[in-house]
Amino acid sequence: MIYSAVAIALLPYNTLVVAAGVAAVGCAAGVIGTFGVLRKRALVGDAAAHATLVGVASALLITGHRDLAVLLVGGLLSAIFAIILLVLIRKFTRTRDDAATAIVLSVSFGLGITLISGMVSRGIPGSGGLERFLLGHTASLTAHDALLLGIVSIIGVLCIVVGLKEATMVAFDPGFAAAAGWPAATIDLVLIALIAVMVVVGLPAAGAVLVTALVVIPPAVARQWTDRLIPMLVIAGAVGLLSALAGVVLSSLAVQVPTGPVVVLVATALLILSILVAPCRGILWRTRAVSGISSVPLMETEVTAATPRVMERKL
Amino acid sequence: MTILLAHAMLTSWLESIGPLHGWAIATAVVVSACCAIVGTPLVVRRMSLLGDAISHAVLPGLVVAVLLGAQPGGIGVLFGATAAAMVTVWFTRFLCRQAGLWDDASVGVSFTTLFAAGVLLVTLSGSRIDLDPGCVLYGILELVPFDTVDVYGWDIPRAFLSASIVLLLVSFGMWCTWRWQLFTAFDCDAAIAAGVPTVAVTTGLLVGVSLATVTGFVAVGAILVVAMLVVPAATAERLVHRLHHAVWLAVVIAVVGAIGGYLLAWKLGTSAAGMMAVVLGVEYVIAILVAPDDGVVARLISKLVYLWRVQCEDRLASFWRAEESGQVRHEDAFGGLVNRWLCVNGQLRKQENDLVLTPQGRLNAKVIVRSHRLWETWLGKHVDLPVDHLHPPAEWIEHHLGEQVRKRIENELGNEDVDPHGSVIPREKK
Repeated sequence: MIYSAVAIALLPYNTLVVAAGVAAVGCAAGVIGTFGVLRKRALVGDAAAHATLVGVASALLITGHRDLAVLLVGGLLSAIFAIILLVLIRKFTRTRDDAATAIVLSVSFGLGITLISGMVSRGIPGSGGLERFLLGHTASLTAHDALLLGIVSIIGVLCIVVGLKEATMVAFDPGFAAAAGWPAATIDLVLIALIAVMVVVGLPAAGAVLVTALVVIPPAVARQWTDRLIPMLVIAGAVGLLSALAGVVLSSLAVQVPTGPVVVLVATALLILSILVAPCRGILWRTRAVSGISSVPLMETEVTAATPRVMERKL
Repeated sequence: MTILLAHAMLTSWLESIGPLHGWAIATAVVVSACCAIVGTPLVVRRMSLLGDAISHAVLPGLVVAVLLGAQPGGIGVLFGATAAAMVTVWFTRFLCRQAGLWDDASVGVSFTTLFAAGVLLVTLSGSRIDLDPGCVLYGILELVPFDTVDVYGWDIPRAFLSASIVLLLVSFGMWCTWRWQLFTAFDCDAAIAAGVPTVAVTTGLLVGVSLATVTGFVAVGAILVVAMLVVPAATAERLVHRLHHAVWLAVVIAVVGAIGGYLLAWKLGTSAAGMMAVVLGVEYVIAILVAPDDGVVARLISKLVYLWRVQCEDRLASFWRAEESGQVRHEDAFGGLVNRWLCVNGQLRKQENDLVLTPQGRLNAKVIVRSHRLWETWLGKHVDLPVDHLHPPAEWIEHHLGEQVRKRIENELGNEDVDPHGSVIPREKK
């Protein structure tokens, strides 16, 4: 911690602003991702993330500007389009939900790769740098870009803060929210749109392939420490912030290292640590509880209540 | 004999297209066939996302194997990748059970982590490994023909050779365990009860997936392998209803996607792997449009046919009611296609300036009106609805009542032959 503080203090101004911007992205992604994960949309975000490449490439192709804002707007449009496509496939065909996700994800990624590689082979100016969006590369961000990312993230978090009650209601019981007269479908749409926005602003930090980790891992870490929503949001935000910051710092020290993998590995390290030591749910804690030091009946009820279904019925 | 013939055809085709492109296409075809074969049970068992996770996660296994001295595209990396795939499955289940994570979130965590570890290893090992992060994502199909091994004096690309071996392995494995795969895919509980070793079946399937993935990885990269695993299977599943037909069809679809994608990419000067995924996507869209039973077009047509039938039947009934109350309908009162169709069909005919029912048309119209009034009477008797609420449901159901249902309703009503509105229920014509 002290080392990273020193490292941050020694960085040049541009890197500082970039670090701040990306940290804001990480924090917002953690907060908004919590709602995504609660609504079981972790992999919808992944499909949207893979689809952003199409929009980023076509934005460059159409406008000819290599401005980050333009590229990200393109990415956002294609992410939203991918989500709409996913909903349509789920609704109007009998293709299973998981297969639909995999189809949208892989085909849109293929389209993105086709576009980028065709543009590169035709020598369209600026197309060479598009590959940075695959794995994230904060070292190439300017202070101006970072400010943009930071501001969008702060707006995203503000949306959640303002609509916390509505979002909570819809995240936990959409049926009840609708019955109670809330515009549940609209709130749900806003939540999906926010996830798409976070996936897009997370692109420069983590890249299309790994950005979903920014919205999935921080909530997973937070889940280990608490059963309540607001502490979970705070912890997820903090974890996202820390891992994004670590990613920026490490990749600015070693320029050829893409940021995305570093961010993801830091976040996963935090997750594994939490799974081991978190109070009540951590593995170490549970072994102590079972060996009789803590109150066994209480622990057992908490553990079973907090352990949702297994992924597959039988493997 | 067949093999020789196929070989001769393949060779002449390869010569016409140029040996380098020929080898690349052949590799793509073999890889897609592998992926389609293992992908079909995967999709049917709702494990597509596990396939997604495995395809990302073979990267660290592959890199570690290469760092330990295996050849990329060779047999050695298969073991590394299979081990990595097993680690993914274990890690996903660990997150699910030990950490109480939601199942989609644990897939998301495990594949991003392993992929990130792989990318970091690739970047850090730098020149010691012949992969760059770009190829990891979208493969090096164009370079496959240059890395060859000598087999009895023939220069065969390493990737093609290992993909062919994997194709043989995977097909043989699938053929041997087919009945078990089928049973487990459709009813896991019954399979367990019947003594099928479901754990072994699933593990075998996952090993097959990781073998297919790692061969595909070298050719098309991590994410487009997902397209090859899932899209042909999902497409085939829309078109046929038996698992073994689906496997064959998926292989055909995958091969078409591979060849079409490669040739298109070659003409357009872009990434072959990306284009293959796009072609597969187009095939999927075509399949959901034209699928014979639940395709969008098929459903649209059957809906239109239904609406047209309802229109015609309503028109016939209205002619019959007019006749019943002694009015005469003039042709220009009801212009349009419906009347013309009914005339062509022999249910209406022209009489001077008027349209009247033919005997056949009168018979059909009577059945409709009879259904309508029987239903109204039945509703009025058994469901406590006010008289003015009886018409709408009857108007809808009159198009759906068969002869037997009408008979049963009639029997139940006993000898009532007047509906609640006071109209006579027409008799069934013998």
